[in-house]
Amino acid sequence: MATFFKSRSVQLSILGLFFLIVFVPYFINIPQLEWLTTKLMIIAAVTNAFTIAIAVYSQWKRSGRFIREKRRGWAYHIYLLLLMAFMVFNGIVLGQDSTGYQWLLQAVVTPLSSVIYGILAFYMASAGARAFRARSPHAALLLIAGFVVLLYQAPLTGAFFPGFEPAADYLTKTFGMSVSRMFSISVCIGAIVLGVRMLTGKEVAFLGFGEE
Amino acid sequence: MTKEEGFDLFRWMATYDKRWIYVILFIVVLYPLMRPVGMPITVSELTRDYYDQINSLKEGDIVFDSWNMEFSGYMELKPGVLATHRIFIEKGVKLCIAFGHFEGVAIPDVVFSELRSVMQEYDYRELDDYIILGYILPNEAAVAALAQDFHGVVRQDWKGNPIEGTFLDQITNAGDFAMINDYTTGLATTFEVRHMVLTYGTPMVVNCIGVSIPGALANLDAGLYTGLLASTRGGAELEYLIGAPGPGLKSMDAFTFGHYMLIIFIIIGNIGHYGWARRTRYRDRTGIR
Repeated sequence: MATFFKSRSVQLSILGLFFLIVFVPYFINIPQLEWLTTKLMIIAAVTNAFTIAIAVYSQWKRSGRFIREKRRGWAYHIYLLLLMAFMVFNGIVLGQDSTGYQWLLQAVVTPLSSVIYGILAFYMASAGARAFRARSPHAALLLIAGFVVLLYQAPLTGAFFPGFEPAADYLTKTFGMSVSRMFSISVCIGAIVLGVRMLTGKEVAFLGFGEE
Repeated sequence: MTKEEGFDLFRWMATYDKRWIYVILFIVVLYPLMRPVGMPITVSELTRDYYDQINSLKEGDIVFDSWNMEFSGYMELKPGVLATHRIFIEKGVKLCIAFGHFEGVAIPDVVFSELRSVMQEYDYRELDDYIILGYILPNEAAVAALAQDFHGVVRQDWKGNPIEGTFLDQITNAGDFAMINDYTTGLATTFEVRHMVLTYGTPMVVNCIGVSIPGALANLDAGLYTGLLASTRGGAELEYLIGAPGPGLKSMDAFTFGHYMLIIFIIIGNIGHYGWARRTRYRDRTGIR
């Protein structure tokens, strides 16, 4: 039985069947399928959420190996495991309303998260200031466009020089938006191609099979 | 080629130490936060449209309030979050709050403590007027299931109170929400577009961080969003529009000085680059140093 379910063609058939159950109701109204579709979505959501348990287990094993073999930075892994255990204990055993969990979030996680985000401003300013060089006519055009948008973004400029707003608006809604659309369309086409390759058995790594 | 000697101003301008940027940016941002100047601000069409969308909601309308942000992202979106919720509270809009990140659990206390006075004024209470469902948008399947069968997925709020018997009884699927209001750093937003907006036609307004604006503008132009509030600047504009100054307007001085500083550093770098390159070509051509 196990061999049967491990077979590549059986797994692909199951995949194709479930794909159709979820995919078809988007285009054809079949009330009988809706209940099944919703149940499948809920099962997928719950299964997906449980992957966090696998992540915790994998991290535990990986860090354990680091500590046992005394690899570089092994002490940090002890710290990581202790904090992870403390967070899991507070979150699961005592609940997310508990003082311990809330303290960890409010006093440790959130300030660190804000600091990391704040530091990015310095890196971005530094990278922007040093990378924007008019080394070629193309780069000069990019620089001019960047200048207009940057000046418009500073609230004071808009208040004293209203002419910047239509210029920045034009650049954002034409060049900026076309690039953004191109990116979105490319990602979408890539996802469709990947989906088709998975359904037709050309991409089987996600099923645990090696590339053929 | 001999080694260049002495101080070359152009070379310094082209290759200045990045730590100068860090130090000056720190001063330029910190000073106006400590001593606000109160610079004028203009309100963009984008923010006006967003305000019109929010303002069109009626008392008792139920909004799916999606907090797709980590705490770090909240720091950028804070002005928009506070100003928008102030409007919701004043209008008596009912909120169904869901998180797209586990750090979202830490944000309600911060938001509602800032709005305590207006909540008391309008007698706005948890479970009667707003319900926090917690971290229920971890992946696309969860959003899709929630959109199709709301009560099949969620039966209690984040504190374990049953949602049965509350205003959420009126919701069966995503089409029953009057609006989706999404504060996002880019987590479950696209899932909501696919499974709530495209499937049920629920209007969606978005308050996004700066780097997401170009992508969000394309979605706005395509009609997937009906309103867009752009980052801290948009939040500050909304504060100005509703006459409720807050953290956004306070930060606009630092915002302005920071932008101008960056422009000055870009100009310095380019003058240095041009001058240094020109001088180097001249030296190579003539051999004069």
